[in-house]
Amino acid sequence: MKLLWFHLMPYPELPQDFNRKHRSVWVDVDPGLFDPEVVAAAYERYIDQLVHAEQCGFDGICVNEHHGNGYGLMPSPNVIASILATRTSRAAITVLGNSIALYDPPVRVAEEMAMVDLLSHGRLISGFPVGTSMDTCYAYSVNPGILRRKYHEGVDLVLKAWTATEPFAFNGRFTQMRYVNALPRPLQRPHPPIWIPGGGSVETWDYCSTRDYVYAALSYYGHLMAKETVGGYWRRVEENGKDPNPYRLAFLQFIGVADTDQEAHKLYKEPAEYFFNRSLHVYPGYADPPGYVTEASARARYKSQVRAVVRAKQAKHDLTWDEMVEKGYVVVGSPDTVRETLEDVARTFNCGHLLTMLQFGNMSDELTRHNSKLFGEKVAPGLRGLFADAEDHWWPANAVPV
Amino acid sequence: MNEQPSHGATVVYLPGIAGHPANSPALDALGDAGWDVVVPRIPGLDGRSGFQPPDDYLGWLTVVWDSLDAAVDTLPCPVIGASLGGMLAADLAVLRPEAVTASVLLAPFGIFDEAEPGLDIYALPAAERMSHLFAKGVPDPFVERFAELGPDDGPVARYLSDVAAASLLWPLGDRGQAGRIHRIGCPTLVLWGELDELLPVAMSAAWAEHGLPVEVVAGAGHLLEWDEPDGVAGRLVEFLADFHDGA
Repeated sequence: MKLLWFHLMPYPELPQDFNRKHRSVWVDVDPGLFDPEVVAAAYERYIDQLVHAEQCGFDGICVNEHHGNGYGLMPSPNVIASILATRTSRAAITVLGNSIALYDPPVRVAEEMAMVDLLSHGRLISGFPVGTSMDTCYAYSVNPGILRRKYHEGVDLVLKAWTATEPFAFNGRFTQMRYVNALPRPLQRPHPPIWIPGGGSVETWDYCSTRDYVYAALSYYGHLMAKETVGGYWRRVEENGKDPNPYRLAFLQFIGVADTDQEAHKLYKEPAEYFFNRSLHVYPGYADPPGYVTEASARARYKSQVRAVVRAKQAKHDLTWDEMVEKGYVVVGSPDTVRETLEDVARTFNCGHLLTMLQFGNMSDELTRHNSKLFGEKVAPGLRGLFADAEDHWWPANAVPV
Repeated sequence: MNEQPSHGATVVYLPGIAGHPANSPALDALGDAGWDVVVPRIPGLDGRSGFQPPDDYLGWLTVVWDSLDAAVDTLPCPVIGASLGGMLAADLAVLRPEAVTASVLLAPFGIFDEAEPGLDIYALPAAERMSHLFAKGVPDPFVERFAELGPDDGPVARYLSDVAAASLLWPLGDRGQAGRIHRIGCPTLVLWGELDELLPVAMSAAWAEHGLPVEVVAGAGHLLEWDEPDGVAGRLVEFLADFHDGA
């Protein structure tokens, strides 16, 4: 299996009482909380951590896109990806932005992704999330009633811009262009692999499986909560007549590794509490703009009382460390403990791409590197052999797995 | 609708942001005054399954006008529009002046004032939204709307109705009316709830600037015809009296 190192690039100094004194970490978060000097230092540190991840043996490094967000300081993941492209030599550069519906015209995304692919000499994975409601409907004010149609049209335009052999006109419902001629074209032909981050909508499962894109299950709430989503995805893969190649799936998991289980609990409690109780303090009013989910997904949601209860608990942001571990939000422990859990998750989920979140919250640089190094040296070797017989059709042409 | 004996005079009512759950006391009073009140079924706002919002506002106007023409065979006639229906009624008067003999706009969307942004109703948890539309509590018809569809389909219908309304208004409820309402040629009255949370009453000045008479209804919220049915209906009957014959 492939192991990728994922960074959110969180602001590391939200005040202790943030979730009591502030409404939300997203959309209308107080900009006065963000010290530019702290952000500048964090960028430098975080980019170094991503480079370090390649040195630790990770197959890929991941960046993503958020707007007006205190736990994700990458409004343009492409900027970071371009730096990583030149500071690394082997790992897949995995960009799990761009939310195409936000960009007019979407050709700009085709151009920038092509540049990153060229700068990295063919190591780009291009992710196209619809985007969260906070990012798309509120921070960027896209009408939720057209968001998904605009997104789908944008993906089609980018693909055509990457692969067309001559300039063309595009008469879409949301983008109309007389001349589309995105230059340069990407190095990978016909185009870089496409991964679609998703949170569990039926439409996204179908979209990925019918188009043969990787579905990246990007919940922050761990493997236990993701069972329903992953199960639903694989059912749709089967119903759409596709093979169960484990590399069709990527899954994100927060992880903390230490020499012993006891030490791991001691080390990772604080950064996990920072993330889940402080960074993830999102005002619930931004979660449900009418039209963001389709009728089919709304119907499924209203019938799922269990998920409603889970959401209510998540919204409280008063989780204890024991709850985070018990519920699987964080897989934590010695290398053997972590490996056993992740191997079980990978087999159960039939997941060939594990997105490891080894820096979260206010985790220090020293602990982040310790976590990454231990994982690379003592956990990864026990996982790499999984799914050895399956072929990864969704890996960049020139990214070299360990 | 049309439960009262017809007097041969039709008035169209375009409902507001929360749709049209039932005949309102204000519309009943219009009926008592001899009006046949026609409420066109606006696709989407009725919560029916399968509706996809148009791509843009022009598409919305087409949908609404198709619906209006299917429901009303007595145009021209007076048109009352509330909330987002007021925005649509204003554009009907601007763009199809031959169809409207008079218009009443009840706290219409269509112009946004950065200095008076009001409450972003769609940045509230869904369960909390309805209460902010009224100053005197949520009327029963809105509470019970779609209840007959049951616990599974009822919430979905309510969601779909919100989807339609939100798609018309996102993100600010400004569709450029400030640039064209000067072309409203028919007699027009604008009523505004004193306690409107979504469109603060100060926002009514933008409509007054274009020569439209604005009157404030004390004690009323955004859906003022529900908060103050007697007062609003009385003013409607008075204003529309000159158009009772539909001419």
